[in-house]
Amino acid sequence: MASVTLKNIRKVYPNNEKKKKSKKGEPVKKTNLKVTKEGVLAVDDFNLEIADKEFIVLVGPSGCGKSTLLRMVAGLEEISGGDLFINDVHMNNVAPKDRDIAMVFQSYALYPHMTVYDNMAFPLKLQKMDKAQIDKLVREAAETLDITQYLERKPKALSGGQRQRVAIGRAIVRNPKVLLMDEPLSNLDAKLRNQMRAEIIKLRKRIDTTFIYVTHDQTEAMTLGDRIVIMKDGVVQQVGTPQELFDHPINLFVAGFIGMPRMNVFDAELIKDGGKYAVKMGKVVVDLDEEKQARLAAKRVEPQSITLGVRPEHLTLESTGGPMLHGTVDVYEMMGSEIHYHVTVEGKDVIIIVPTIGMKDVVPMGSDIPFTFGGNVVHIFEKEKGTNLEF
Amino acid sequence: MKKKNGIGLLGTIFFSVLAALYMYPIVMVVLNSLKVETAISTSGAFELPTGETFAGLTNFVSAISSQGFLKSLFYSVFITVTSVGLILLCCSMCAWYINRVHNLISKLMYLLCAFSMVVPFQMVMFTLSNTADKLDIFGLRFNNPYTICFIYLGFGAGLAVFMFSGFMKSIPLEIEEAAMIDGCSPLQIYFKIVLPILKPTMISVGVLEAMWVWNDYLLPTLVLDIKKYRTIPMLIQYFRGSYGKVEMGPMMACIVMTVLPIVIIYIAGQKHIIKGVLDGSVKG
Repeated sequence: MASVTLKNIRKVYPNNEKKKKSKKGEPVKKTNLKVTKEGVLAVDDFNLEIADKEFIVLVGPSGCGKSTLLRMVAGLEEISGGDLFINDVHMNNVAPKDRDIAMVFQSYALYPHMTVYDNMAFPLKLQKMDKAQIDKLVREAAETLDITQYLERKPKALSGGQRQRVAIGRAIVRNPKVLLMDEPLSNLDAKLRNQMRAEIIKLRKRIDTTFIYVTHDQTEAMTLGDRIVIMKDGVVQQVGTPQELFDHPINLFVAGFIGMPRMNVFDAELIKDGGKYAVKMGKVVVDLDEEKQARLAAKRVEPQSITLGVRPEHLTLESTGGPMLHGTVDVYEMMGSEIHYHVTVEGKDVIIIVPTIGMKDVVPMGSDIPFTFGGNVVHIFEKEKGTNLEF
Repeated sequence: MKKKNGIGLLGTIFFSVLAALYMYPIVMVVLNSLKVETAISTSGAFELPTGETFAGLTNFVSAISSQGFLKSLFYSVFITVTSVGLILLCCSMCAWYINRVHNLISKLMYLLCAFSMVVPFQMVMFTLSNTADKLDIFGLRFNNPYTICFIYLGFGAGLAVFMFSGFMKSIPLEIEEAAMIDGCSPLQIYFKIVLPILKPTMISVGVLEAMWVWNDYLLPTLVLDIKKYRTIPMLIQYFRGSYGKVEMGPMMACIVMTVLPIVIIYIAGQKHIIKGVLDGSVKG
């Protein structure tokens, strides 16, 4: 139950790459992280206001700095620059135990020599709470997470899912101001992960605190977060609600990261015909809808070569009367409610999702497939930088 | 299959004979501790005790009463307990530091500990006994049984730190971080989290070090004032009287009494010794 403010947060690690290179004589692994005189920049100029009781998800590929950021909030990593406030109290130099936060780790990090009960009671014992109160709180938390029957067991006698529940239990039992979760579901199998995801949504309603959740899985991010922060190479790409990120990705990276299967991209031309913007791919010209027209006009975007993004579910096989795009079906995957066509268009892989309801025939592999898209579903990105021209 | 069985049988015979050879002196000592003096010093030494030669527990009584056995027992127990306690506490802490703090000092400490295992005791023993005799830190001297544990700490540290840090590598850092967030101070992390997890390694290191300290003869002989303080291994040789007279019966009894506690400790901790040694080497 607290707001968290991150102002110009930076994290710099000492640069050891040069030493390693001279030692092993191997080429240094190339990363896109910035290297400054001080060292490697893992997180650069991170700004975020997290409201009380908000569920924030930090998402990005491996090595983007999301876990580092979480660890800085937890106090496990030193903050190299910038300010961290929890409930408007400056926290940079406060020890982890005094921040009133709790954290759930990817590897559960349960104490192997203690029973489930003792694991959950441990933070309360350290607060010197009286035994009756501890017992009450532990049993309540165990009830919430449905682990009451395992209270006397040691962690090694539990399955992965049960261990993760215990880890969550240990975190919520002392009612922290902020609950940090570092890829808590990554070690679970797919089925259990879906189940636990639903559990976390339920849990959130019950315990009502501020959550910061780190994941590399876009599905988790979309389903759990009030707002999502997408990071790449230590830099925030976009912050917004799941729907905002899905509908209006600010650049190609965000567009590719959010949405499953990922967004298709095509080389195209942005043209202006009689004051109206349209996109042109070969012979196919699609007029943009009024909302996009207005945004492009407001930014005075010039006609130019662009990268066009269209989500697989927005491509359609229905003819609009005009010329269609053509590709060759490589493979199709029947998913039951929909069919995924993997299509090659001018050497590029494109995925088209077609609902099976009302579908006439499946287009066989190796044959030509005509498709098109509407002017309201396209995303227009600058060719070089990949930024969305609408925003 | 057949060939394998043949090799297996040969191996069994070979190792049985080897085990018997190892056991033979121990059995001899136990048997002779129950015989009268004359039966030991004659050719009867290799025979089982008969009605005539059986001495009952007289040798044991004599061993306890004649040379100040109880006093020596106290010194031996005291030195072993304090030394092993100190080694376990300090070395596990040291290994924790070496594993968790990555800087030049920790690397250097680890190398020093590994190096100290290589240096034979005989190489440093004279300088050491000289230093122990002369060193005087505000009245604290190292030539008595109450402070000799610090010297044992130094010699035991190599193996202990090596074994502890091998096992420590298998403890995930996240557990300690979780404890830190849960409200532990570094000392609490050590005593409430790290130490209990280290228990199997503690037992195996403890037994190995206890065996060494308990049985050690050379270091206390060199360092302690022989006239005042005698540990049990030192005491045994005092059954050798003047003019070549040896009280064999009490000496054998004394050896049996000395060996017994350490055998019991070893058997009790055996399971952990194998586990502890493997944990360090395999998981690390």
